[in-house]
Amino acid sequence: MGATLELEGINKQFPGVKALDNVRFDMAAGEVHALLGENGAGKSTLIKIISGVYRPDGGTIRLDGETVLFNTPREAQQRGIATIYQELSLYPELTVAENIFMGHAPRRKVGPVDVLDWKAANTKAQEILTSLHIHTLDVRRKVGTLTVGNRQRVEIAKALSLNARILIMDEPTAALTEADVEQLFSIVRLLRERGVGIIYISHRLHEVFELADRVTVLRDGQYVGTKLVSETSENDLVSMMVGRTIDNLFPKLDTEIGKPVLEVRNLYRRPMTRGVSFQLRAGEIVGLAGLVGAGRSEVAQVIFGINPAESGEILIDGQPVTIKHPGQAMNHGIAYVPEDRGTQGLVRQMRIRENVSMSVLRAIRAGIFINRREERSLATGMIKQLNIRAYSAEQVVNKLSGGNQQKVVVGKWLASKPRILIMDEPTRGIDVGAKAEIHRLMSELAKEGLAVLMISSELPEILGMSDRILVMRGGQVVAEYSRAEATQERIAAAMMSETAGNGAPESETVMIDESETA
Amino acid sequence: MTATTVSAARQSSPGWLKNLRTLVSGQEGALTLSLVLLVIVVGTANPRFLAQQNISDILLNSSYIAVAAIGMSAVIISGNIDISVGAMIGVLATISGQLSIVPGMPIWISWLVPLIVGPLIGAVTGFLVAYLRIPSIVVSLGMMSILKGGLILATGGVWIYNMPPEYKLAQQSFLGLPVPVYFMLVLTILAALWMRYSPSGRAIYAVGGNKEAALLSGISSRTVLMRVFMFNGLMVGISSVLFATQFSSIQSTVPNGLELTIITSAVVGGVSILGGTGTVIGATLATILLRAIGNGMIFINVSAYWLQAVQGTLILVTVLIDLLRRRRQAAQIRG
Amino acid sequence: MAVTERSSQLTKQSNPIVSRLRAVVLSKEGILFLIMIAAMFILSLLTDKFLTTNNLLNQLRLVTEIGLMALPMTFIIITGGIDLSVGSIFGLSAIVMGFLWQDSGWPLELAIIMCIVVGTIAGFINGLFIVRVGVPPLIMTLATLALYRGMALGVSEARSARGFPDWFFDLGQRQFLGIPSQLWILLIAAIMVGIILARTPFGRGIYAMGNNELAARFSGIPVRLYKLVIYTFSGFMAGLAGYIFTSRISTTRADMGTGLELDVIAAVVLGGTSINGGSGSIVGTMIGLILIQLLKNGLLLGGVKGDATIVIIGAILILAILINNLVQRRTGGD
Repeated sequence: MGATLELEGINKQFPGVKALDNVRFDMAAGEVHALLGENGAGKSTLIKIISGVYRPDGGTIRLDGETVLFNTPREAQQRGIATIYQELSLYPELTVAENIFMGHAPRRKVGPVDVLDWKAANTKAQEILTSLHIHTLDVRRKVGTLTVGNRQRVEIAKALSLNARILIMDEPTAALTEADVEQLFSIVRLLRERGVGIIYISHRLHEVFELADRVTVLRDGQYVGTKLVSETSENDLVSMMVGRTIDNLFPKLDTEIGKPVLEVRNLYRRPMTRGVSFQLRAGEIVGLAGLVGAGRSEVAQVIFGINPAESGEILIDGQPVTIKHPGQAMNHGIAYVPEDRGTQGLVRQMRIRENVSMSVLRAIRAGIFINRREERSLATGMIKQLNIRAYSAEQVVNKLSGGNQQKVVVGKWLASKPRILIMDEPTRGIDVGAKAEIHRLMSELAKEGLAVLMISSELPEILGMSDRILVMRGGQVVAEYSRAEATQERIAAAMMSETAGNGAPESETVMIDESETA
Repeated sequence: MTATTVSAARQSSPGWLKNLRTLVSGQEGALTLSLVLLVIVVGTANPRFLAQQNISDILLNSSYIAVAAIGMSAVIISGNIDISVGAMIGVLATISGQLSIVPGMPIWISWLVPLIVGPLIGAVTGFLVAYLRIPSIVVSLGMMSILKGGLILATGGVWIYNMPPEYKLAQQSFLGLPVPVYFMLVLTILAALWMRYSPSGRAIYAVGGNKEAALLSGISSRTVLMRVFMFNGLMVGISSVLFATQFSSIQSTVPNGLELTIITSAVVGGVSILGGTGTVIGATLATILLRAIGNGMIFINVSAYWLQAVQGTLILVTVLIDLLRRRRQAAQIRG
Repeated sequence: MAVTERSSQLTKQSNPIVSRLRAVVLSKEGILFLIMIAAMFILSLLTDKFLTTNNLLNQLRLVTEIGLMALPMTFIIITGGIDLSVGSIFGLSAIVMGFLWQDSGWPLELAIIMCIVVGTIAGFINGLFIVRVGVPPLIMTLATLALYRGMALGVSEARSARGFPDWFFDLGQRQFLGIPSQLWILLIAAIMVGIILARTPFGRGIYAMGNNELAARFSGIPVRLYKLVIYTFSGFMAGLAGYIFTSRISTTRADMGTGLELDVIAAVVLGGTSINGGSGSIVGTMIGLILIQLLKNGLLLGGVKGDATIVIIGAILILAILINNLVQRRTGGD
């Protein structure tokens, strides 16, 4: 059932931008082919051409040796090319089976009328899921009630229900927990054995090495090269992607660690915050590791007053304080760069200037009015300081790349001159260059005496940036390591042990027996 | 995480119990329960409420609203709204009535024409919404003015009398129930089946729930929206015939606030105003419930002047109960 | 991406004053203003009774009530909400005023204050349920649309209040400094509210909420408080409008202001405020308001039959939004 795909000399022009310039790409049946490049390199445009969303301006696409041209996603689907998008394209209000078979559900005749046969759909959906070794997903559940990992499995099942021979996965692990990632990988391997070709896009290089057979790198809309994964190295790929070498992805500076500025004692906010206690000192970067759903963001949001604590104490400089809403947290010098910049961090329809000033509107007033001049200079200052690539502070945030958007969020919170900075997944979904810049900034801020709490699902980031590491599980801090004693294995073990017993079927496969050391 | 535990628990209970539970916890269940409760309470206080004539009146007066609410439900589920339905009913009822008093005109024509003109008006609205991408609230607000003004302009708001007796479809009875009641029941069931079991019906939920995703799975939201508004036009057409044939005279103006009654029925029936969810069965049950509340108030001697206030309160209470129920369910999912 | 490039090139090419002017003219409000001027020109050709100071001022007097309610409605629609109950609040407040004075023997001054207080409380209740219980605004105000109107009916028992003393009509029927008295209130309110929306942290918060409520909350903007304020303000204005209206037409009845909410919303939406929230302005709302009324009046004076004017206004509403959509899309605005 495998298919081969060849693209040659692909051009795509958008008004004012050459998105793809003479790009080629090819894949064999049953191959996992990684597609790498920084944001804006043209990966998305390329996969949209393959999946029929865009039509190329020039070049040829050959499927099984036959020249094809897709006008709509549907045509591509009919030829066996399916895409799993970054923003999952499911209907939350419909069931798993309905989602899988949306648009091509089995029919049956009731008298003269052709109706959808949901019973058959349920059975077939179950069969597909079983064939992927997914046994714990009820096909009658509404998709809106599923975890991100399960939703993705539904997406994959949907693709397979269309008899996909080529599967495009756009950053499939961006929002997944480690356990979900493991299961995704085993599904990908399973599909490869069945001869399904997979185009795999990810910012995480180690995934490429773990999973892919070959890798193609794009830069600024141009083809840079294709390599066998076995014959290349991370450094090679990074320099192919950015056109230069990045000497250090984790530029951690040594800092003077001062007095505790934030302390929480026995913080409760059920269900996801259950008796959390820790300290955060000036100049210190504390990494908060854990699986998605372990309660990390929830703790941050309790501290920041978005969902205030039910009980427990928050102390700033040793003094107990009350934080019932974000405004109070901000008055105490706390800033929170949230996990999801699109929905929580930014008002994307508004300008950079308006976003940056949003946390300090009251501080930059002249009388009852917003001081426009101060607002503008604040924004221009941030653009300069954070190296945000935009043509002016008046640019609408929507039109910036992911990395630059993230910098705007960071800029908004630096504007409030915080003493405690909580960063929730600060580099998720942004390219290597911007990632290194954010890490450098974080390090510099700590050096200036800021206390930083960094939540991250990427263990290399946790290990690379933190002075101290806390591990959460089930709403509690279950382990703590100093920079010296932390290893990937130890943290991973602390993150995952016992979770299977808590009724999370996803993690059954990754049970690791490990003594908890603190 | 706990969600999986919940579903596991659900799986372990026997099938019929599960079905019963989903029925009662659903909006339809809640509405049925409220209806039964209302009938018991008011019926005990004043047995005349339960007289066959009264029940039949409640159902009759619900019919044309329920039929319109079916169309409205589809519109709202698709993520839109149509404020012009009241004006449409006024216009179509007038057309129908006028046709019926033209000498020599077969009666069926006066019944049929609204069912053609309705979808045509719907097509205009749908075109403006789907292809020119003007928000439906704006389009239907404009459409409402156009229809309202046009109607008065054309007829001067006169009363239409002397419709032939055979025209008065809604005054006929069959097996003890007025004919419109059958229309209400049959159309509700057909629409529910269509929206549940046909690809074109499911597509409405898809477009209302996630337009982007609908496009990627090859559903054209434009076609779907056109279809939805034309369907709404058809339902309004039928509704207007039921409305026009119910009384001995028709005033050629727009019934005041009818659109809000229809929207209220759909919304109380559990159609989420944000699009993507809801069923027409809920809408029909809600229509009957709201009618029964209004009617029941008279039987327990609520002052006629305070009737609307009590009704408003009850709408609010219904909405609040539903909201709390949903919140509890959401909390269960989160664990 | 692509659009950014193009518009940045555009701004680079033309000189700053021209591009600024271009931006103003091509803004939603600019286009609407041009439509209004064009309409006024055409109407003045139809009849010479239209373009007279007296007529224009008189027309503005007639829309003061709708205008006052359209101010908070602009805020509400920008946040992505809606208030369908304003017509009912309007009727309820006026009824309470009339009957407190006529039946309960309250001094009229106190009754007027109560009129506004009742409106404010009614709006506050809307806001409270929306913020505290989380009822969607459309549903909440749909319910109170029925509830408040029902209360007005109940209080009045379908009677009307009339026979107010002469001074009561000062606001509604007389002039102050050559301009209809109530127009001063609208003018001052519109300027104040317009400035608040455009220039203060509160106004910025309203826009931020309308575009992305979660992000606004995460940025420390007191989203719930702001919502409570605008719905309460909406009730306040409806109460005030109820008083002004009673003063203008000398009597009050329970069905007063039925369907008024749609006129208010029409003015706001015609004024370019996006019904999906996130954008809009008081200037736009005011132009929308005036445009509707001038069209009604001009067409009437021009010999168009009264009911045909509604038809034309409906068409204009759709057309204006359509034109604006097209222009905004072509210039790359949102």
